[in-house]
Amino acid sequence: MPLNRPTAVIGSAIMVPIHTDRQSLEEILYEVAQAALKSAGIPIEDIDGIIVGSNDQVDGRAISIMAASGSVGGVDRDILSTPSAGEHAFVMGVLRIASAHFETQLIVSWGVTEASSLSEVERLAADPYFHRKLPLDDLSSFALQANALIAAQPQAQTLAAQLVQQNRRRGSLAYPEATGPIETPAEIDASKAVRWPVREAMLRAPTMGAVALVLASEEFVTKAGITNPAWIRGMGWATEAAFLGDRDLTAATALQEAARQAFADAGVATISEIDVAEISAATPFQELIAYQALGIAEPAQWADVVSKEHVHPTLNLSGGVASINPVFCGGLVRIAEAANQVMGTAGKHQAAKVDTALAHAASGPAMMYQTVVVFGSKLGGTQ
Amino acid sequence: MELLKRREAWNITYNHALGETASWFYVQIRDHAKIYGRRCGETGRVLVPPRAFSDQTLEPTTEWVEVGPGGCIETFTMVYEPFQGLPDPPYAFGYVLLDGADTAIGGFFKGIDLADPAKAAKQMALKTRVVTKFAEVRTGDVLDFWFELEAN
Repeated sequence: MPLNRPTAVIGSAIMVPIHTDRQSLEEILYEVAQAALKSAGIPIEDIDGIIVGSNDQVDGRAISIMAASGSVGGVDRDILSTPSAGEHAFVMGVLRIASAHFETQLIVSWGVTEASSLSEVERLAADPYFHRKLPLDDLSSFALQANALIAAQPQAQTLAAQLVQQNRRRGSLAYPEATGPIETPAEIDASKAVRWPVREAMLRAPTMGAVALVLASEEFVTKAGITNPAWIRGMGWATEAAFLGDRDLTAATALQEAARQAFADAGVATISEIDVAEISAATPFQELIAYQALGIAEPAQWADVVSKEHVHPTLNLSGGVASINPVFCGGLVRIAEAANQVMGTAGKHQAAKVDTALAHAASGPAMMYQTVVVFGSKLGGTQ
Repeated sequence: MELLKRREAWNITYNHALGETASWFYVQIRDHAKIYGRRCGETGRVLVPPRAFSDQTLEPTTEWVEVGPGGCIETFTMVYEPFQGLPDPPYAFGYVLLDGADTAIGGFFKGIDLADPAKAAKQMALKTRVVTKFAEVRTGDVLDFWFELEAN
């Protein structure tokens, strides 16, 4: 269904990675919210409502919205929470403006590395009946998915390390201090297996991060005189079964559905009409799965995409999750990066002439939650 | 300046109700060393682990169906990180489509030498036949059963 009202991102702030003990979580959230408002050029008084996306187990704070609300402006103001995924906070914020009850929304998501083991934290997501006694953290689910993919598409095995290197080359331009070394495919394949067949050098250690975006209606954009909004032309989201044994782990059916919704709303026939895209992939195997589900490339063409530096759409100019891996909020970071490309505020990795950008966000065990957002510099599609 | 951290460790015990369906499933494992699934009356699909209802049709499941003990590997991984309450790594686990089932069940793989991971991975190639083995002393839990290669 198309949105009832044109809605845009008018500001953002990306704080990843965060390596400091000089600020508590609440102080970091204050900083990221203030930075997003400054980027939008509006005061907190202009914000009608707030949606936060955070995870109580990760934060070590039950109902972490309570910890956050004071930091992000939620005192005496509407504030809601989406614990399922950071990108779901974005979806809900857009829908709230479409409802005509709101003109603006502040969206904030974050993740911290304060738990003794993120793997143990993630195991709490598994049901306590059949799966809690298995080592089913996110990484195990990613490895089970990778093995299923390699069985179906053996070329994924050799392309994986090349894809990591390609992402980190882009990451080294976008965020040179944070991306780290660009390991060669041989070095990646020789690194130790953390969960077979996922190698240690395919991943970046999870880091603390926070991200915030400001959304506004068309009326607000006009009234405030904002000249570079990133219009949300289409949006789709879907969820797969929680039990991994019920799913075809190689198909990303929820992503196919999310893309179908987003493209239909945006009036986009194929992804080749998009200028830049940010893909949410915790492993290179997930990125290949996303290529097929989004229509970027069928498996027979994966090698072509991986070997080229520039395809259309241009992929992961930020370097993606292979370069910087913030806990929990990586999906919303992809959305912020794509919006920044349209607003012309992407910094070192800003592409020239971006009229359309796509953000893919994935969360949960083996990409259970899938979200696709299509941004445009002009109103279009069904808006 | 000196920056402090506050260390907190919570130890809360939960007693989760399994409900009739999961309870019956684990009693059969504990008392009879058998694995059962539940059939969806609308599609005929046998859901393993058993569900009281299908999350696809949203209809209640209608009957118990014994599955296995043979099956084939749907996917696997080898784990090198220690987890609380689980065996010392490395070990292999994954999902097996038991004979007669339409969805795969998670469990551990045993009896495979993991010293050479590439060789072990080949042995656990997808669609490889496995057989379910049961512990002599069973408590009614996932750890009561595991999978071994049928060829062994």
